[in-house]
Amino acid sequence: MKFRQFLFLITPSVIVMFGFMLVPLYRTVRWSFEKVNYGEAGTSVGLANYATAMSDPRLGRATLFTVGVTVVVTAICLVTGYLLAVLINGLGRMRPVVLGILLIPYVLPHVVGAVAYSWMFDTNFGGVVNYLMNGLTGGAFGEPLWFTSVWPNRLILVTNVIWFMLPFAMLMMLAGLQGVNQESLEAAEIDGANTLQRHLHVIIPSIRGVIGFVVLIFTMDVVRLFDSLIPLAPQATTLGNESIMYYVFHVAFADGAQNLGLGSAINILTILLILVLLYPSIRGVIREARTV
Amino acid sequence: MTIQLTPAEGADSLTVSEATIAATPPNRRRSRRVAVLTGLFLTATCVVMVFPFLWAAISSTKPTDVAFANPPVFRYVPTLQPYVDLWQTTNFYHYLANTLVVAVISTIVALAIGLPCAYALSRYGGIASVVLLVMALIFRALPRFAVVLPMYEISKTLGVYDTTYAMAAALITINQPFTIWLLRNFFAEIPKELDEAALVDGCTRLSVLRRIMIPLMGPGILTAGIFVFLFAFQEYLTAAVLTDINAKTVPVFIATQIGQNLPLLQQASAATVLLTLPVIGIAFVAQKYLVAGLHSGAVKG
Repeated sequence: MKFRQFLFLITPSVIVMFGFMLVPLYRTVRWSFEKVNYGEAGTSVGLANYATAMSDPRLGRATLFTVGVTVVVTAICLVTGYLLAVLINGLGRMRPVVLGILLIPYVLPHVVGAVAYSWMFDTNFGGVVNYLMNGLTGGAFGEPLWFTSVWPNRLILVTNVIWFMLPFAMLMMLAGLQGVNQESLEAAEIDGANTLQRHLHVIIPSIRGVIGFVVLIFTMDVVRLFDSLIPLAPQATTLGNESIMYYVFHVAFADGAQNLGLGSAINILTILLILVLLYPSIRGVIREARTV
Repeated sequence: MTIQLTPAEGADSLTVSEATIAATPPNRRRSRRVAVLTGLFLTATCVVMVFPFLWAAISSTKPTDVAFANPPVFRYVPTLQPYVDLWQTTNFYHYLANTLVVAVISTIVALAIGLPCAYALSRYGGIASVVLLVMALIFRALPRFAVVLPMYEISKTLGVYDTTYAMAAALITINQPFTIWLLRNFFAEIPKELDEAALVDGCTRLSVLRRIMIPLMGPGILTAGIFVFLFAFQEYLTAAVLTDINAKTVPVFIATQIGQNLPLLQQASAATVLLTLPVIGIAFVAQKYLVAGLHSGAVKG
C-alpha cells in the first residue's frame, strides 16, 4: 500500500482520535502546572501541584492499593479463567447456556453490577450473603462490617472486580483454545504426557499470545478502577481503600473540592505509571507491527 | 493461523469426548466422575456469577415493605409495581432512549471510521503504522479523567455539554483505539494476495475495502460492533461527567438512586433488570460469534 493511500484511509479515524484525545490531554498537561477553576483561565504555579501530590500520603496509598488490586485480580482471573475455559471447551450441548450465563456480569454496566453486588452484603438491604453463610455455618459467620472495616471491604471490592472481569478472561482464553493444534496434543498424549503436563507444556505455551493480551487489558482496566468504588466503598478514603481514579475524582470533580490543577497533576503521574507498566507490551507491539 | 469461520459446535465436542471414553474402557468410571465434578463446579460458578443480578431481579418483584427486609423474605406475593412506578414517576424511558441512542450512534460511527483505518494499518508496513498503533495502545490505557475533565470544560465552552451527540463523540474517541486494534487483527488474517488480485483487475483501494474486505469481515465487524456497543452502553464515568439532566444515561441514573429511600431503590433494581435483559439476550445470541470471531482475529499470538 502506498503511503498516500494509507494517509487517506486513516485520516477520519486519526482526526477523531487525535483531535478529541490530544486537545483534552494538552489541557490536562497545562492544568497540571496551574492553579485553575472550571471555566476560568489558570495562573501558572510551576511544579507546585506535583509537589503537593507527591507529598500527599493519600496518593501513595491509593497507588499501592490500585496496583495491589490489579495484581491480585489479574492473577486470580488468569488461573480461574483458564480453568473455566478448559471446562467449557469440553462441554457439549450445555456450552451456549453456561457461556451465556457467565457473560452476564461482563455485559452489565460495572456501576450497576456493583450496586447489585452491594445489596447482597449490605445488611440494610437484606444482607443475603450474611444470611446464607450463617445458615450454612450455624451462625459462625457473624456479621462482618463489609463497608466500614478495611479487609472485609477490600474483599468485596476485589471479588466484585473479579466477578465482572473474569468472564472476559474466560472468553479470550476460550477463543485461544480453539486454535490449539490438536495433532500436537495427540502426540503429547501418545508420548505419555498426563493431563497436567499436556496443559503446561502444550496448551498454555500455544495460547501465550492470548494470555499476554489478557494481562495487557487487565493492566489497563483494573488500574483505572473507579465505578465499583462508588457503591461498594463509600468510606474508601478513611479506610485507605481508594483507587487512584477515585482519589482524582474527589480532588478534581466532587462537590466542594474542585482542585483541577492538583487532579491534573495526579492524572499525569498516573499516565507515567501506566506507561511504565505497559512498557513490555509496547515493545511487543513494535516488534509485531513491523512484521506486516 | 488459518481463518476459522465456524466455531467448534457442541455436537463435535460431544462426539470427541464419547470417542475418548469408548477408546479407554478402564478409565470410564474415572471420566464419569470427572464429568460429574465438572458439572457441579460449572453449575456452582454459574450460580455465583448470576446471583447478584438474580437477587436484584427478585428484589424488584417484592412488595416494597419486604423488598430489602433483613433477614430476607422468600415467600411473598410478586408484584410489578416498581416497574410501573419506574415508568410513570421517573424519566427512565428518557434515560434508556439516551443510552440506546448514544450506544447506537457511537457503534456505527466507530465502525465507519475505524474500518478504513484498520484496513490501512493491516496493509501498510511502514513506521507510520507502528507509531499509530502504539499511540492507540497508549490512548486506550489513559486514565479517563485525564481526557474527560478537559472534555467537560470544552463541552461547556462550546455549549454542547449535556447533549447525546457530545456524549457519543466522547465515546467514539475513547473506544476508537480498541476498535482499530481489534479490526486490524481481523484484516491481518485476510490474505494480502486477495487485495493484489483485485488491484490488478483494476479495483481502487477503496473499492477493494468495500467490495471484498468488508463482506469477508462479517465476524470481525460483528465482534467489534458488539464490544463497542457494550462499552458505550456501560460507560458510567464519562456519562457522569459529561451529562446532567437531558442526556443522562441509565447507569448514571441507577447510581444516583443509591442512598435514596426504599421505593426509589427498588425502582433502581427494576431499572437494572430492564436495562440488562436485552443485553443478556445479546450475550446469549452473540457468544457463539464472539468466540469464533475472537479466535479468528483478535487474539492471535
